[in-house]
Amino acid sequence: MIDKRLFKLPGIKPLFKMLAGLTVLQAFMILFQAIFLAKVLVLSWQRKGLSQLGWLAGAFFLAFLGRHGLTWIKNRLLDRYATKTTEDLRQKLLAQVYTTGAAMIAQKGSGNIVTNALDGMDEVNNYFNLILSKFMNMMIIPWILLVYIFWQNLTSGIVLVLVFPIIILFMIILGYAAKDKASSQYAEYVVLSNHFLDALRGLTTLKMLGLSKEYTHNIYQVSENYRKKTLSTLRIAILSTFALDWFTTLSIAILAVFLGLALMNGTLPLYPALVTLILAPEYFLPLRDFASDYHATLNGKNAFQQTLDILTIPTVTDRTLLPAFTWNEQSRLTIQHLNFQYDNTTDQVNLKDLNLTLQGYERVAIIGQSGAGKSTLLEALSGFVIPQTGNIQLNGHQLPHLAQDQWQQQFTYLPQKPYLFSDTIANNIRFYQPTASNEEVQQATEQAGLAKFIATLPQGLQTRVGEAGRGISGGQAQRIMLARAFLVQQRHILIFDEPTAHLDIETEYALKKTMMQLFKHHLVLFATHRLHWLEQMDYVLVLDNGKIAEQGPVKQLLQKQHGPFFELTSHMRGVN
Amino acid sequence: MWKHDTWVKPYLKQYKFLLATVLFLGVLTTFCGGALMFTSGYTIDKSATRPYNILMIYPAILLTRAFGIGRPTFKYIERLRSHNWVLRVTSNLRTRLYQTVEQDAAFFSEKYQSGNILGLLSEDIDHLQNLYLRTVFPTVVGILLVVIITIGIGYFDWWFGLFILLLLLIEVLWAPLLSTSIEAARRERQKTLKDQLYTELTDNILGANDWVLSGRKADFQKTTQTTINQLNASKLISKKFGWQRDFYLQLVLGVIFLVLIVFTNLHFTSTQAQANYVAAFVLAIAPVDETIIPISQGFEEYPMYRDSVKRLNQLHPTPQKLPPQQQLAPADFQTLTIQNLQFEYDATTPVLVRNFNQTIQRGEKLALIGPSGSGKTTLLQLINGDLAPQKGAVLVNQINVRALQNNRQQLFAFLNQQPFLFNTSILNNVRLGNENKSDQQVRDAIAAVKMQDLVESLPQGYDTSVQEAGARFSGGEQQRLSLARILLQDAPIVLLDEPTVGLDPITEHDLLQTIFTVLQDKTIIWVTHHLQGINHVDQVIFWNQGQIEMAGNPQHLYQTNAHFQELYRMDQGIIH
Repeated sequence: MIDKRLFKLPGIKPLFKMLAGLTVLQAFMILFQAIFLAKVLVLSWQRKGLSQLGWLAGAFFLAFLGRHGLTWIKNRLLDRYATKTTEDLRQKLLAQVYTTGAAMIAQKGSGNIVTNALDGMDEVNNYFNLILSKFMNMMIIPWILLVYIFWQNLTSGIVLVLVFPIIILFMIILGYAAKDKASSQYAEYVVLSNHFLDALRGLTTLKMLGLSKEYTHNIYQVSENYRKKTLSTLRIAILSTFALDWFTTLSIAILAVFLGLALMNGTLPLYPALVTLILAPEYFLPLRDFASDYHATLNGKNAFQQTLDILTIPTVTDRTLLPAFTWNEQSRLTIQHLNFQYDNTTDQVNLKDLNLTLQGYERVAIIGQSGAGKSTLLEALSGFVIPQTGNIQLNGHQLPHLAQDQWQQQFTYLPQKPYLFSDTIANNIRFYQPTASNEEVQQATEQAGLAKFIATLPQGLQTRVGEAGRGISGGQAQRIMLARAFLVQQRHILIFDEPTAHLDIETEYALKKTMMQLFKHHLVLFATHRLHWLEQMDYVLVLDNGKIAEQGPVKQLLQKQHGPFFELTSHMRGVN
Repeated sequence: MWKHDTWVKPYLKQYKFLLATVLFLGVLTTFCGGALMFTSGYTIDKSATRPYNILMIYPAILLTRAFGIGRPTFKYIERLRSHNWVLRVTSNLRTRLYQTVEQDAAFFSEKYQSGNILGLLSEDIDHLQNLYLRTVFPTVVGILLVVIITIGIGYFDWWFGLFILLLLLIEVLWAPLLSTSIEAARRERQKTLKDQLYTELTDNILGANDWVLSGRKADFQKTTQTTINQLNASKLISKKFGWQRDFYLQLVLGVIFLVLIVFTNLHFTSTQAQANYVAAFVLAIAPVDETIIPISQGFEEYPMYRDSVKRLNQLHPTPQKLPPQQQLAPADFQTLTIQNLQFEYDATTPVLVRNFNQTIQRGEKLALIGPSGSGKTTLLQLINGDLAPQKGAVLVNQINVRALQNNRQQLFAFLNQQPFLFNTSILNNVRLGNENKSDQQVRDAIAAVKMQDLVESLPQGYDTSVQEAGARFSGGEQQRLSLARILLQDAPIVLLDEPTVGLDPITEHDLLQTIFTVLQDKTIIWVTHHLQGINHVDQVIFWNQGQIEMAGNPQHLYQTNAHFQELYRMDQGIIH
């Protein structure tokens, strides 16, 4: 019900004490409210005049206001804490995204992390609010009231004490029954509830198959099935609320009878009987409040756990082992016996015993079938993933991994589908170098062959792109990335991960000319399955199943009529 | 907005009896809660007069039990009934939304595929469910209760009745309406800020690698901070408003208590028999707060519901004007003629097809190559008659294709970039091609597209679910299953819209091989973005800005056209 890690949050203990104090005070307000109301009602019953009720009614009203005023204060206090703690968590989460980046995102799914950082944080906030206030109410208020009831009337006290565990027991049993029923139907349920969206998304296909009109009937039928299933699940799911209500109201009814009989026998005066009757619903109220929000807290609890799980992923350390330097013609990176796997609980090794040397302004092609490990190799070289073992030497410095701040500022990375930030085109271009002037950006735009396109936009370089902006074709997006690379002249390494895979042949043809300009004075690492790029490369690595199957100068490998390179390239051209 | 609404109001008239039951049960639930306290109070007061016979309080005891059982029971039934009503309406709404979108299927990609409009529309229907459950029902029930209470008290004293009515109307009408009017703008702003935060977080997370490479850690954390602060500040004002409002609502309730105390003291103290009703009247009001306080909270969601209702009411399918329909047997198809075709979506968008002429004989295969966004898909939609051209016509034999829409699926089959697989079994998905085919024929089609071995190796074989959007299978496999569907459909003309985009060259090559083998005797129009597999077609058209750039037989072009030769070499990776 409560995650123990909750108690380890900073500042929670003083808050707890404060809340507990306020809740005790509130319990007394509830008590006073009942006492004064009962006294007023007894006087009225005794047919005393309005003047005699005066101050008691006033006291009742004040206790009533005090009780609700305390709720207000508690909410304010809790919310301040919850908001602050949630924001701290969100900041830590983002810091974690920055430091452990790609590998963590790949593991958890980017959509997941966005949801966690946005809606998840709202749920966590809600969870803190509910769990701390409602749980605290349940742990304090009923028991203070109970002490008073016992003092007034022993039998009523016993009845109320006995009912409490029975209610909890029934709720647990019914809760399990509902859970069983729900989980046995869950898979079918999900299919039914997603069916509508599924059908809407597949509408074009249905239309092409001439089935879209007939399918209308199907929509109605499935929706009706969904209704029937929902109702049959609901029938059991809300049984626990029913049980809770049933026991509370029934125990009030029983109490009324008990008290009535005791009054008739003359063993009890009116006041204790009335005050017990008034307090009985208050005794159950915290439990009912807690139960009604229970499901809301479950979501929050899950989100809280997910966040903590992400935060406990070990961060990459030793990021600053490399002194400041600039890659040049004499630079050299040697990698020996490098091994990497994404998931170390399986046998699947993603990179196996890689040995390679990169030096100066070489142009290196990385080719292989899909799934051979091209992208993983580039990620390891960029320091986005951390190899388990391997000997890495950069200009004579021995390094545990390449997630080095100084190394990562040496290169530009062009992925298959470039990510455009929702900002202006200019700011996307100067992303690595925010201080670049407009003239420099303009120049990079021209070098990247983007100027003609920019000229057609009414707002030119200030046009907003990305999520909330203008849609842009794949070719233009790649050109924006190239402009970014042209702009940062001090970065002498280019890492390309199949940048032209999604482009049509003529766009690629036009883009190639621009890219070749960029290759000058750069170390180029180029993963591709478009073989024509080999012409611009000096060296080639052939990957197969995580291993380097063959490597060597392009010219040399092109001469061979056998071996992994020969086989792969023939297969790709469709020559059998 | 509500005046011309067709998505909420008409449905209130449906299932009138069920709706009345729901509202009646809602009133009854709270009524029983009040009555339980009423009879309990009466039992105790009456007993305190020490009647000599238990029979004197027996009816009250019986009623107490009845109301004690009645309250939870009615609540339980009410919850089931209200969900039943809402889900029934949902079935109708979904059917209607589907029909509306279906009429628009030709403009599907134009109107619905950008962003997540389908997801939004489907969520809107879920919002309508909550509009009923959280706002409409509680408000109506609240108002009915106010009427009952007012009549109950007005029966004894007209003035007190009026006074209580005013106080209760504050609770069920004035406060909710005030909440909406004060909160609406703020909620709107919070929604905007939340969308903005979503964009920023997406930028942070999907662009994480770029942030790391840029080395701008401080900027990374700063991007979201402003929005988060603004959002939290605005939310805090909303919360403060809510706490304050809830406190004042309780204050009004406290005043109601006082009024009842005065009322009972003035009216029920002339005889002891009357005085026995004092506690009854005062205590009966307590359960009412559970019903009326949440009404204001329900109203806070109103702006969201309003947006949903607005969006649904704004759906207007573009009417299709089709000429009188004719019949053409698939076996009789001979030529497809495209005459002076011209098309633009509307005056503000570029002309996508400009004076295009082409004749295709039965069995001929044509490839169409061009950059993305150049209207290739639109051309396919013009050919199969989904869209009507502004000028010119597409003729099948001598009949305009727009006159052949009734049985179009017998003439045209369509394989698009991302064919849609429905979340059902493999067998059912493929059979959508032609629902009259036997299981064996479906299996033969799956064998023809070389999926037999894979499907039969799955534990559930042909009955395996393809999962949501075909997620169980890779892109190439999904295309193969869709191709099997087309084989069953057996139409003489097949339109292929970039079926291999995003696949690696080896998968692409194999898939194209299969496509052109199984569709050997069909007429094919194939939109593609590069030259892989171009040897399968009789004619290739390079398409740009709505016009033909270069056209001819690929073998012939290779021999005579230098540009084509260069593109072909590049695509094949042939190195000089």
